[in-house]
Amino acid sequence: MIPLRVKVEVNAEEPFVVRLRSFEAEEREREPEQLNHFEVSLERADPDGADYAGEGGPIRVLGIDPSELDGDVLLVNPRRGTADRLIRSTSPHNTFLVTERCDQVCVMCSQPPKKHHVDLFTYFETAALLAPEGATIGISGGEPTLFKERLFTFLKRVLVARPDLFFHILTNGQHFEEDDRSTMTGLDQSRIVWGVPLYSHDPSVHDQVVGKQGAQERLLDNLAFLCRVGAAVELRTVLMQPNAPGLPELARFITAMLPFIRTWAVMQTENIGYGRMNWKTLFYDSSEGFDVVGRAIDLVRSRGIDARLYNFPLCTVPEAYRHLAPATISDWKRTYREECEGCSLKAECGGFFEWHPRDHGYGRLGAVQ
Amino acid sequence: MKVWPLKFREMSDGSMLFADDAGGFFKAGDDFLDRYATDGLSADDSLFLKEGSHGFERERDLPWTSFAYRWARRQSRPRKMNYVILVPTLRCNLACGYCQVSRAPEKARGFDWSDETLTGVLSFLGDLEGPDIKVEFQGGEPMLRVDLLEAVRDYCREKFSQSQFVVCTNLQKLDARAWAFLDADDTFISTSLDGDRLTHERQRTHDGDVTDAFFRNLEAVVARYPEGKISALPTVDVANPPDLDALLDNYERYGVRSVYLRPINHQGFARKFHQGDNVVARWNRLHSGFIDLLIARNHRTGRFMEEYYFSQCLKRVLRFDADNHVDIRNPNFFASDYVVVDHDGRFYPTDEARMLSRIGRIDLSIGDVATGIDRAKVDVLNSGAFNHFDPDCIHCAYQPFCGTDVVDDISRYGRVDVPRPDTWFCGRHLALFDKVFEILYRNDAPTRASLAAWLGVAAWDDGMAPVHS
Ligand code: SF4
Ligand code: SF4
Repeated sequence: MIPLRVKVEVNAEEPFVVRLRSFEAEEREREPEQLNHFEVSLERADPDGADYAGEGGPIRVLGIDPSELDGDVLLVNPRRGTADRLIRSTSPHNTFLVTERCDQVCVMCSQPPKKHHVDLFTYFETAALLAPEGATIGISGGEPTLFKERLFTFLKRVLVARPDLFFHILTNGQHFEEDDRSTMTGLDQSRIVWGVPLYSHDPSVHDQVVGKQGAQERLLDNLAFLCRVGAAVELRTVLMQPNAPGLPELARFITAMLPFIRTWAVMQTENIGYGRMNWKTLFYDSSEGFDVVGRAIDLVRSRGIDARLYNFPLCTVPEAYRHLAPATISDWKRTYREECEGCSLKAECGGFFEWHPRDHGYGRLGAVQ
Repeated sequence: MKVWPLKFREMSDGSMLFADDAGGFFKAGDDFLDRYATDGLSADDSLFLKEGSHGFERERDLPWTSFAYRWARRQSRPRKMNYVILVPTLRCNLACGYCQVSRAPEKARGFDWSDETLTGVLSFLGDLEGPDIKVEFQGGEPMLRVDLLEAVRDYCREKFSQSQFVVCTNLQKLDARAWAFLDADDTFISTSLDGDRLTHERQRTHDGDVTDAFFRNLEAVVARYPEGKISALPTVDVANPPDLDALLDNYERYGVRSVYLRPINHQGFARKFHQGDNVVARWNRLHSGFIDLLIARNHRTGRFMEEYYFSQCLKRVLRFDADNHVDIRNPNFFASDYVVVDHDGRFYPTDEARMLSRIGRIDLSIGDVATGIDRAKVDVLNSGAFNHFDPDCIHCAYQPFCGTDVVDDISRYGRVDVPRPDTWFCGRHLALFDKVFEILYRNDAPTRASLAAWLGVAAWDDGMAPVHS
């Protein structure tokens, strides 16, 4: 697994954001003018660590090869002696976790909510401005829109300052109001995708999954709001035992009520957080019961609405649907199994979450020749 | 709940098809029609209409918003000119029976772009916004002037980041320079293949040697290039149609799986030929039979072929975003995303308009490359280019899926205000959409398999077309 947090030694009190650079010898001359004041450059490296210097430093990073860090943006926490790799320059999967608070408690939540909140938006803004050209930055939580004033301000500033950046924001869709209309239309929505979960067309099933009465009703109103402000919505449905039988019904609901979504993502469950605790009652073996999934996405796609399968090992998906299953498991969470040995699909397959149980639960799985 | 207005039409099985203005549709019995018409909807009716987004509780709620969205998306609104049809020469080395009006003999003079016209065309292209362009070379036989084609292509490759070229050629004569032109990956071939050899010879080549030359070149093209490089169209004479089975075999043999069956275009002959119900009815029967033939054949072979226009109409029914085909969309505003440039540098809104003008019936040119597009004239044409307020269409269940064809109306009737049901366009499209809905509600496995293939989904089941029972 790719480490998202590294050990550092710094001479500072307060947290700060810094970008690490490594220059080849011949570039060294031009180094000063190439560095901005949030950057440090590699001075020397030894087997235990690497030393960086610059306006933002000095800083010593321990236990990781500096070649893996070139261009990375770190949030350094001097007191703890750690740094979070907010942006890994070579990865398409960079996400800012803006809060751990949430007003829902979903039965399969991979990141169970906590009461405590630290506002890091100032650091996120600096980090976003240092992101590589054309990057997409994920925003997640907790529930980011619990702090929507801060979130909107952050988005507005970064979208203006960096016309090349894109955002993918996960939200439970509970907190938009008609009053947010002008703020939302003021953001360049063509560069934002809002990932919003809907688990069932049946309010009682949805509300039960998210652990909040009335959540679906609120969500549907807010989906209409998102449509009216021209937001691009990626509708996300985690496939689980409680909602799998209703998937075709949900598909019908989408064709009638949510034609404006950009994509419908049907997602396999992640075995972590509450997902792990409730695994036995949640995990739906789509390798055996794919028909509900297939019928649902065929219906939606026949109406010209895009549908995708996220986090499905390719061999568990019938061949006719595999082109709809991109490798969505982020690089740092991804692993393959013994069964994958010699599989011809491995290059296109997202494999498994690192923490997926050994007894994977799929009735049909294994290398495809 | 407020219910959006529903229009209805009797289906071939005696039940009723209902559709709202945003293209939401379902099938029901005439008992429902009675309740709907007399304001006596049952609780079941209301629930069904609600779930299908045919009504709303309050403005801006989700059903209201989704209806508005679907309605708005169904309006075609191309805003960028990115497709030009160029006629660098009117000369041709064939003399097909139905093409007299739009060609000149191979040796004739004065039917090719002059140097000034070429300059004008390039400067017109140069003013387009980009970043993409599609150029279709028509004729005449454009391969008689490969030099002009090269000039245009070189220019476009330079100016646009994505460009694509289609040569509509009869494939009669291909010299080394022609092959070199066609070899490029950004260049595609479109040709005419009227079905079996006999029909092709009768309608086009008229002579065994000429026919041989065509098929030799067709074989060579198919062998040389990957599938998808070449497309082909059959022109069908409804009075003397080809063997449609043999036509499909022939198309498949040449790797063309999408067949756009086109009736002979009686451009300009409307006055001479009787164009009554008879021709429309005969054409509709032929076309409907062709769809059934395709379904049976696809089932038999397990390899899927389609009738291009039927698939397009099918998608118009099911999807709100299927407005990329210029023959059927609504509104169908002219010179918005594509335009034709004739051999003399004049602009026309469509190729049919060009031919119609050529026989002197009416001048439908809309400016030329020297002076630019004549927007005032385009506006006049556009005033009839949508079906929203047509007194017949507003009562028709197919209105959200259908379109208009102003130029065809002018060509056949000399006017644009003929009652819809009396037009060729309406007669064809009523039948086409009747067929689409017949197919959508069929339950047999062969039909479902073809439907799935035509829609690009893995499977189609009978729950996918809504029924209110
Ligand atoms: S065997 Fe492994 S690599 Fe192959 S499709 Fe299955 S999960 Fe993916
Ligand atoms: S042209 Fe005919 S089929 Fe089309 S909408 Fe009008 S009345 Fe209906």
